[in-house]
Amino acid sequence: MKKVKLLSTLVAFSIMLAGCASSANPQTPAATSAGTDTAAATAAPVKKNLTVAYSEGGTTLDPAEANDLTSDTLVLAAYDQLVTYGIKTENGASIANTEDIKPMLAESWEVNADNTVYTFKLKSGVSFQSGNPVDAEAVAYSFERVAKSSSGSFLYGMASIKSVAVKDPSTVEVTLTNANHNFLQILAMYTFSIVDQKTVEAQGADYLKTNAAGSGPFKLTKWDPATEAVFTANDSYWQGAPSLGKVTLKFTKEASNRVLLLGKGDVDMAIEIPPKDVSTLESNSALTVASNASNRILFFAMNNKVKPFDNVKVRQAINYAIPYDQLLSGVMYGQAKQMKSAVASNTPGFTDAGYVYEYNLDKAKALLKEAGYEKGVDFDFTLGSGFDDWEDDAVLIQAELAKIGVNMKINKLARAQFLEQQKTNNLTSYISKWTSFVNDPGYHLGFLLYGKGSSNYINYQNAEVDKLWEQANLETDTAKRTELYKQAQEIITTEAPWAYLYEYNRIVGMSNKISGYAFYPDEVIRFYPLSITE
Amino acid sequence: MFAYTLKRLVQMIPALLGIIVITFILSRVLPGDPAIMLAGEQAPEEIVNKIRQDMGLDKPLYIQFFAYIGQLLQGDIGYAYHTGHSVASDLTSRFPATIELTLASILIAVLIAIPVGIVAATRKESLLDHISRVFSLIGACVPIFWLGLMFIYIFYSILGWAPAPMGRISGDLNPPVHITGLYVLDSLLSADSAALKSSLAHLLLPAICLSTGTMAIIARMTRSSMLEVVDQDFVRTARAKGLRESAVIYKHALVNALIPTLTVLGLQFGFLMGGAVITETIFSWPGIGGYVTDSILAADYAPIQAFTLVSAVLYCGINLAVDLIYGFIDPRIRYE
Repeated sequence: MKKVKLLSTLVAFSIMLAGCASSANPQTPAATSAGTDTAAATAAPVKKNLTVAYSEGGTTLDPAEANDLTSDTLVLAAYDQLVTYGIKTENGASIANTEDIKPMLAESWEVNADNTVYTFKLKSGVSFQSGNPVDAEAVAYSFERVAKSSSGSFLYGMASIKSVAVKDPSTVEVTLTNANHNFLQILAMYTFSIVDQKTVEAQGADYLKTNAAGSGPFKLTKWDPATEAVFTANDSYWQGAPSLGKVTLKFTKEASNRVLLLGKGDVDMAIEIPPKDVSTLESNSALTVASNASNRILFFAMNNKVKPFDNVKVRQAINYAIPYDQLLSGVMYGQAKQMKSAVASNTPGFTDAGYVYEYNLDKAKALLKEAGYEKGVDFDFTLGSGFDDWEDDAVLIQAELAKIGVNMKINKLARAQFLEQQKTNNLTSYISKWTSFVNDPGYHLGFLLYGKGSSNYINYQNAEVDKLWEQANLETDTAKRTELYKQAQEIITTEAPWAYLYEYNRIVGMSNKISGYAFYPDEVIRFYPLSITE
Repeated sequence: MFAYTLKRLVQMIPALLGIIVITFILSRVLPGDPAIMLAGEQAPEEIVNKIRQDMGLDKPLYIQFFAYIGQLLQGDIGYAYHTGHSVASDLTSRFPATIELTLASILIAVLIAIPVGIVAATRKESLLDHISRVFSLIGACVPIFWLGLMFIYIFYSILGWAPAPMGRISGDLNPPVHITGLYVLDSLLSADSAALKSSLAHLLLPAICLSTGTMAIIARMTRSSMLEVVDQDFVRTARAKGLRESAVIYKHALVNALIPTLTVLGLQFGFLMGGAVITETIFSWPGIGGYVTDSILAADYAPIQAFTLVSAVLYCGINLAVDLIYGFIDPRIRYE
């Protein structure tokens, strides 16, 4: 009895304590009623805050190491690069134009005659958030960090950078090993963000993993991968103070919760909206859904060295047996676009020449017969976990193939295991997605379908494609280069190492009050141009 | 009693050693290369190899194992590559959230299930007994993820009673002063009424959701052990002495019936820690659950090993505590 009494007294006491303390939480009244506060009202007009629901919390803030969507987003909010992408308007939507490179921290640049030496002149009077000036030393230091990094160093090689030299405090000279038409496009990526050398050196090497030291529009005030990241406006930003006062990224793993939060107005914006929920959000008059064709593609890969796919006719037969309309409407609810080349349709240089594959089981059957498989054939298919649509796609394709006597055996693997298996180049067939961060057919094909490509896991070898790709890589004339890439695409489409499935849309749901949103092929949202109206 | 506790603690050592060895081997034997996951799909082989070297994965297994043991002896539980933080800092920031959720759900389960079990046993075959049976059955069968999503849909989206399923406290509030890391307890201790209200509101739905399974088991367990006890001689004697019925049930029968319930409760703790993984993901609860799932998906070894080890220590500790509490409830149980 005594114990019970003691416990109840304790509980009563604590409730009393909690009840009579008006509020020990310092943030409560001040933050929410800032608008009515007279002191605040006489100062600058109150800026709007933006809350965005993200699925993942990110892994690092180090620009040279970031390689997932959230980390990249955090980096781009806090840092600037030497150059950036232009914007174009297509069907009323703002879309980045990755071929149009604009100055950012670099005011201008000059290129020598053989396109191997770029001399960048930095803008004057630009400083980091710490107050240190953005100078040539910092640029060289940032490039060096990329060269030595784990994740970003391959881009250093991809940009063909040989050396970086400081000419004077505002001039940097970058020498390339060979002319490279992707060089400026790669420099505009988050990886090549310019970091505040003095701050990093004073704070130690690990500082950048969990802190930001850039010259960008937002200052990082909190980053907890389990809950949220908070940015406040850098009011002394060299391009002018951002119109948003605070940006909060809420990490909400469950996709259905992101949809609910957006619908209730608890967040202003949400990414990675499941395609099936788009119509619900669109019916909400307070919301806008931006659904842009991205360059994230999904393809059915067939190993060209393994039976039965060593026969081009079998690969073409598979292409004819895929129920494209069912995949687009049934699985993706219309939030995807049919893919008609190995290159995404919004990548410069795309062509659908040679694309003949419409759903036609008779044609597929005839091709199988020609290949000597009139009695049917079995093959192994590996399904990596983690994406709901892949599983639906695989089952639908399996059902269609069964109609023409082809037995597709689905083996499921966890994602980590799938990636490991894929790298052995021994998988018979699989579904995989790919996003080329550098929006260029050369980059894209060079990874996936060039004979020596590091991600050519299906052993696709075609001497002509390789020759065209190598020629294009050295070609400095854009029109001629595009022509070469087009020829390569046509050969690939005809040879069908993949069956093209679809191009994913990038779906961002947002409040009607948000303006300034633009779509970028890297799918990263830039917060600086965003504003919220009443 | 002290000697017994000490003996039990010493007995834990081989169990924990076994766990260390098994989790180490299992995490390495399972397919999936952490370096590939970390490098990203577009990274070429050289970079994957470089990361593998940095992580020490290129060395033979026994060298990796001894390096790990050496680290553990220095109190270092490793580095989580997928979050960029040390595992120790990740665990200290997230474990309190899981502990709070687990304790709250145990509390809810006990407060509801034991009375329900008693009522069901004392009014055997009555309508109340049948209702409690049906609810227990539902509670044991309903998957947590479905229940969680329904809770959010009904109480947050439609009725608007529950706060947004984002974390442990409203975004416009500061967490209470850090004392134990349990927000409800900390806000009580620091007399922060705003934080208390908000953190209780955030805790309620996930805790109820997580407790359903345990509630069902405890209710059934209490009922059956009560039924066993009420037929025994000492209960008849108590009634024969002319004691009030409530005294018979609560002082004589219940205390004796609690032993098996307590045993189940101790075992349920481990189950709840596992169930927290799903609940935390659904409610964006920043606990250990989501962290461990992410670690497994990223094949990040150090956090998986550390979590298993910490859970094992906790589990052993809880079972020891349960054994010791037996002695308080039933004085016939003595530890020498």
